[in-house]
Amino acid sequence: MTVRNATFERPMAAGLARSSRHDAPRVAPWVLPLILVLGLFYLYPVFDVMRLAFMRATLLANDGTYTLSTLIDTLSRPELAQILWVTFVFTASSVVAQQVLGLVIALVVVRGEGRGLFGTTIVRTTALVAWVVPGIAGGIIWKMLFNEAPFGGLNSILRLLGAAPVQWLSDPDLVMWSVVLSNVWRGTAFSMVVMYAALKAIDPVLYEAASVDGANARQRLLHVTLPQLRAAILVNMILITIQTLNTFDAIISLTGGGPGRATEVLSLYTFNIVFRNYDLSVGAVLSILMLAISLGLALVYAVFLPKGDE
Amino acid sequence: MNTRILTLLSAAAMALPVSAFGQDTITGDTGGPPDAPNKLVFRMTSDGPRNNDPVLAEGYSKLFNAFVANHAGWQVELQMMSGDISQEQARMLEQAKSGNAPDCAAVDSFVLPLFKKSGVLQSFSPYFKKEEIDQLFPFIRDGVTGADGQIYAWWWSTDLRVLYRNTEIIPDAPETWDETKKAALASVEKGMEGILFNGGRYEGTTFDWLANFWGQGGKLVDDAGKPIFGEGENREKFIKAVNYYRDLVESGAAPKRVATIGNYDDFNAAAAAGTSALFVGGNWQYNQLKTVLEPEELAKWTFSRLPGPTKDERSTGTGGWTVAAFSKDPAKVEMCANLAREIYMGPANELQEQLPTRADFYSTYKIFSSDTNKAFGEALKVGQARPGAPVYPEISNQIQIMMGKVLTGAEATDAAVDEAFKASTAAFGRL
Repeated sequence: MTVRNATFERPMAAGLARSSRHDAPRVAPWVLPLILVLGLFYLYPVFDVMRLAFMRATLLANDGTYTLSTLIDTLSRPELAQILWVTFVFTASSVVAQQVLGLVIALVVVRGEGRGLFGTTIVRTTALVAWVVPGIAGGIIWKMLFNEAPFGGLNSILRLLGAAPVQWLSDPDLVMWSVVLSNVWRGTAFSMVVMYAALKAIDPVLYEAASVDGANARQRLLHVTLPQLRAAILVNMILITIQTLNTFDAIISLTGGGPGRATEVLSLYTFNIVFRNYDLSVGAVLSILMLAISLGLALVYAVFLPKGDE
Repeated sequence: MNTRILTLLSAAAMALPVSAFGQDTITGDTGGPPDAPNKLVFRMTSDGPRNNDPVLAEGYSKLFNAFVANHAGWQVELQMMSGDISQEQARMLEQAKSGNAPDCAAVDSFVLPLFKKSGVLQSFSPYFKKEEIDQLFPFIRDGVTGADGQIYAWWWSTDLRVLYRNTEIIPDAPETWDETKKAALASVEKGMEGILFNGGRYEGTTFDWLANFWGQGGKLVDDAGKPIFGEGENREKFIKAVNYYRDLVESGAAPKRVATIGNYDDFNAAAAAGTSALFVGGNWQYNQLKTVLEPEELAKWTFSRLPGPTKDERSTGTGGWTVAAFSKDPAKVEMCANLAREIYMGPANELQEQLPTRADFYSTYKIFSSDTNKAFGEALKVGQARPGAPVYPEISNQIQIMMGKVLTGAEATDAAVDEAFKASTAAFGRL
């Protein structure tokens, strides 16, 4: 048996070897352009940022020497702790709110579609409108709404209702939540789309079985829907966390990071260091810090991702 | 068949820009014959044929058309900057360092020292007569002159900050800080917001406020460009000027929302809405008010010099735009100088009513002999430009951060000023 198998397998193995030898020269022309593009447009800038982080390069001068002082000086800057805290509050609040709201809207839309209700497409489209608005434009729209002048958008409505005006942007304790609100408005649609797609992929048989077992709506949500959405939720969390960490366009047009540094997140701080202070090396260190935070969070989420056999 | 139609449509769409380039007119992108052997790439602000105001856009189109008509064999390609001037200027400096800058460009006067220090600008001295250079206001001449005595840009327009007021509510011009506070509080009693000024994360916040520091004789940097505003007498003057703004907010003479204002348009909006009777603005806003206010409302508005701690301690910030050459081709540098002279040095001042930097233009151009422009010219006598130090943009950034903390009451003035000084000094050490 063994001998027969061995003789039977030998020609196959030989054939495979011949085939791989034959295919090998044809793989490189296909892969090489991809490697070149990735190397040139993705890896080279990353290496350049790494190189700059160990120099003292500004837009005005670069003595070409390598040093650890930029790294040490940057990470020991007194304002960095506050910047990181502001970034944490902004990112955590935005991610949680976008995830929850995106899931709620997707559940409502899927349930509405299941019942054949009118308007589900309108709800989906309306949510997506906010998503396609560029960040700068979104910031300007919210700046008009939050304007604290007597003719400002939201305060005018509050006055009509007899309520006192709110210091949306000038109160250092409130301004962060105004910025989070504007970011959640813009980012919820993405979560809604991901959750909607994941909800549609759940096998209806699971719900039928749950109903047969007498599960109510809350139990179906907790024991069928959410476990089935686990992978989608975690992937969505990774994506929106990285997206939120990199957000600065909406903030720069809404508050510019102020008042003071009340809404200056890490990405905006990095932008200011490079474009206001012209310091390429400090900007590079901060960019690497952002990369490390994003990768770290992605790894944490990845640990909770269901494995193939789950 | 469908594929063929699509191909034809695509070809037609691709041909459209080509036919636009083919016209011997300024299209917003290019001027001059497409087969011209020489081409000058000019990067501009909205001071050009793409101005949002159709009258100004048309006026600039005429100037550029006349310019290309005067210079046979040349084509001018126009590139437009976005509204984020700081970012645009930083990007242009980076491009210039790597040899990818446009041939000729508009450079904001407050970052000109950075461009000069980095050695990316070409000398304009061979292309401007001594008489022309001598007519420049001294602070303008100093601003464009390099360490070698050559001029590296042509500073063609300047501006200044003034105090606008609605005379129906505030009849007399406040001359001191105390008078300003009293006038603002009086306007609040009449249902107004009080005095408005830039207080957000915006260059205007620093620049508009600096007059209060300069008026006392304060200095931001020393002769070597090192920050000194947080030391000795300068620190006292600095804190005094910051506390003036702080007191305006804490007393109710200014609304708390000034900490969020980072745009001169907000003042025009407040004037149009009739919610403010007093604001610190730029001279160019007078023309804007003409377009946003009805004539009978406009008649109520006037302006005066910025107040100081006393009547005799007053100043105002002066800025403006320059044209400079990056190209290493002498023919293009000369063409850039020609563009600065023939379009911007005088004609553009007249078109936009932007204050000229040459003293003789105030009598050469009739428009600058008006009472309004004479008053602006008078205020320019106490004008002060931002220091020509590479660290200035970071000092400005730190002042904006400090102002936000102070105006919202988040931090004591002394502590916020010291933090700003420490950060500015650290930035100086790295430049």
